[in-house]
Amino acid sequence: MPAERRSLRSNNKSDASSSANGEKSSSNSQSSGAKEKAAPATRSASNKAKGAPAKKGTTAKGANNGMEENDQSQNNRPDSTENGVNGSEDVEMGEDTAGAPTSSFNTRKDRNGDEKMTVVVPPAKGSRPSKKAGQEKDEDTTMEGTEPGDSEQTEPEIDPTTKAIQDIKINFTLLDRAVTHFDPRFTLRVLRSISSMRKHITPEVLAKVIVDIYPDSSSMASFLLEAIDQANAFEAVPADLKMDLDLEKTKGTAKDTLPEVDAYLAILVQIYLFDERKIQQGADFSTNLIERLRNLNRRTLDSLTARVYFYYSLFFEKIAPLPPSPAAAVTSIRQTLLAALRTAVLRKDVDTQATVMTLLLRNYLSTSHITQADLLISHNRFPAAASNNQIARYLYYLGRIRAIQLQYTEAHSHLVGATRKSPTSHSACGFYQASHKLLVVVELLMGDIPDRSIFRQPALEKALHPYLLLAQAVSVGDLDGFLNTVNTHSPTFRKDGTYTLILRLRQNVIKTGIRMMSLSYSRISLRDICLRLGLDSEESAEYIVAKAIRDGVIEATLDHEHGFMKSKEVGDIYATREPGEAFHERIRACLALHDESVKAMRFPMNQHRLELKSAQEARERERELAKEIQEGDMDDEEAGGDFDAI
Amino acid sequence: MADLKTLLPELQNALERRQLDAANDLLSKAKRALLIQNALIPTPTTPPQLVVLGRQVLELGALASIRQTDAQTFTRYYQQLQPFYDLERHVGGPNQPKAKVDVSTSQRSKITGLYLLLLLSSGDSANFHTVLEGLVEEASLKDARVEDDAYIKYPVDLERNLMEGSYDKVWRETKSERVPDEDFGLFSNVLIGTIRSEIADCSEKAYPSLPISNAKNLLFLESEGAVIEFAEQRGWILRDGRIYFPVEPEAATRSEKDILLASGTVIENTLGYARELETIV
Repeated sequence: MPAERRSLRSNNKSDASSSANGEKSSSNSQSSGAKEKAAPATRSASNKAKGAPAKKGTTAKGANNGMEENDQSQNNRPDSTENGVNGSEDVEMGEDTAGAPTSSFNTRKDRNGDEKMTVVVPPAKGSRPSKKAGQEKDEDTTMEGTEPGDSEQTEPEIDPTTKAIQDIKINFTLLDRAVTHFDPRFTLRVLRSISSMRKHITPEVLAKVIVDIYPDSSSMASFLLEAIDQANAFEAVPADLKMDLDLEKTKGTAKDTLPEVDAYLAILVQIYLFDERKIQQGADFSTNLIERLRNLNRRTLDSLTARVYFYYSLFFEKIAPLPPSPAAAVTSIRQTLLAALRTAVLRKDVDTQATVMTLLLRNYLSTSHITQADLLISHNRFPAAASNNQIARYLYYLGRIRAIQLQYTEAHSHLVGATRKSPTSHSACGFYQASHKLLVVVELLMGDIPDRSIFRQPALEKALHPYLLLAQAVSVGDLDGFLNTVNTHSPTFRKDGTYTLILRLRQNVIKTGIRMMSLSYSRISLRDICLRLGLDSEESAEYIVAKAIRDGVIEATLDHEHGFMKSKEVGDIYATREPGEAFHERIRACLALHDESVKAMRFPMNQHRLELKSAQEARERERELAKEIQEGDMDDEEAGGDFDAI
Repeated sequence: MADLKTLLPELQNALERRQLDAANDLLSKAKRALLIQNALIPTPTTPPQLVVLGRQVLELGALASIRQTDAQTFTRYYQQLQPFYDLERHVGGPNQPKAKVDVSTSQRSKITGLYLLLLLSSGDSANFHTVLEGLVEEASLKDARVEDDAYIKYPVDLERNLMEGSYDKVWRETKSERVPDEDFGLFSNVLIGTIRSEIADCSEKAYPSLPISNAKNLLFLESEGAVIEFAEQRGWILRDGRIYFPVEPEAATRSEKDILLASGTVIENTLGYARELETIV
């Protein structure tokens, strides 16, 4: 009995995997008649199919086999097209058969296990899988005939180019699914994969993909190909292959490629041009691209469009009159970006709205048009549903603007948000550093001394060294040391854009110096204060101290006739409201953090229905189990009785 | 065009002879002429000579409004001048084609300096720093410092000293020989008024009492009579040749009030925590 139960459960697993396969392959055959497109999907599918029954996971060799198989399937596709709709499915099965001659014991066992499981299935539940198993067997036999002949053509090693092509095509299916399911998560997954794929993008890869999926009359295809200098890629395709392709295209689906796929490929082209430093070319391409994309109004395109705008702006930032100059090329794209922002707001396109807004802020700040940036912020509301990275960027720029406007408290809270939200991955280190630099300066301006631990973080230690010196000078009120640091590191500060903020720190250094003196001396002459702080005159010292007293920096009185400062007794701080306020502050911060993390949680769409279903299943299983146990009890009793009898 | 060329010298004359009413008349005529030529806002197609004329008219207008201590009009002129100056900045760039617009007559730094001073005297430090930030960026692009420009340096130094509390330096700066231009001197009175009230504020807190003669020096007043007048304005008590500053309300009563106030916030906070906890759990 237990054995059967186990098999039941494992069968469920294989059932799930095989149904996943089915779904995938069906979506394949629907979505494209292009022959290569099936291959990557089946690779993942077949790997999965293999992975599920093999309890120890597929070995590297197994994966290799899968790859090999894909190449094979690509090559022998002309033959298998005769199989019609089943084409994609038999490729999937082919993996096992082809694996058999060369494979280790492992894979064979897997396959055996697979078959065994499908056999053990109780008829009630397993009618579908068993039918499928039969089908699979059928195909096994049919495929076996064709396989051996072709296998010589396959390459033993995976070519990075083919791999890249496959990866790109896998993403097409994801995009396709994003459109059909209306689920942005698939698109996001595609966008995430770009970074890993980036190294492998070459004009050849792109050209091949483009040739494969577009008919050669397509304007989008020629537009993309021109951008990568592969305008004659269609002619370059060998004649016989081309015929097949044409056949596929005409026969498969006459419908156009999805705009999402267009946009995705265009992004790849943009990245390629950017990596190759073909800036001017990239800028022209992006300008035309945006013209095309603006006419489309599809919500599934949003996150892709956002990315397109991102690279668009990046290109223009690199064009000759560079940003700090008022004539910079970036100023020329403001019109376009503002138009994009307007459209995005009207269409409730959150992704583009957030991206374009941060881009505009960055644009304005790069040419120090702070007033305009401030106006932009005051006239727009940043979408709360924007992606985390965009929020972090927005908060950073906001903090920067507020810091320039002397609103330190606000700037501080924004910057704290930016540093907390900033991604911790290595590639986003620059943002982390930049926001921390600004945060440190703002904290110093507020009269706080930043935590020493900030400067110890490995990602920040080196970059923040000048700021550490600065913080040290401010914390001891050492005016000379402060000025020295500013002078020696002024190129760094200028580059970071914190120089003007740091110049404002001078008064803070003086204030700290005065506080230190008032704490250490009960009475000190103005002359000494003047000397110690390196001020110009005693008169200045008197005014400065008076101001410090007024601002509540120190508790003291001045005696003008005798020229000294007398410190007041410092009261017990715990008798005041200070500790309570600090406590309140912290509690509020914790609560805000909690709220934010609750808000940041993401739930997959329609997941609750699945859960309901699985809960129902679980309940059914439990009932069955209970029944079995009941029966089992009876068995036991009976068995016991038998034993007794023996 | 011809109109403008004749109007401009007249305008300059009128300003030099301080005939501000006449200048106002001329200004409105000149601006009308500019409007007809469509040169009030420069475009890339505007002929360079016209751009120069337009800028000069507006600059003179700005100066005229400053001399009439009309801050609003000055600000408007300053804003109108921005497109002209932006054009100038473009031209001044390192790898730009040779200047088409003659920038030698531009009074940009003077106008900007005056604007900064206006912001400073009206206590609008946020805008002050915003404008300054742009100038610093621009200067660093040309490997220069903002402080190199006397017109800009003046307000920047003043601001720094004001923030720091070195009021004596501010006082010295506002004296006529230090002021870079007579137009800047117009703000001196405003600034002295500002620092005087600042000092008075500080003194109330910092000194228990002060001899009148010392107060005269501290507050930069001419005579002891002025001190007495000033003291009465602020409600200070004069006794035996000393100024006694009104002491803050009694500490004891204050702390009592404090407690009352504090208990209210404590209750409020605690209730807040309870509510938050409830939502979490």
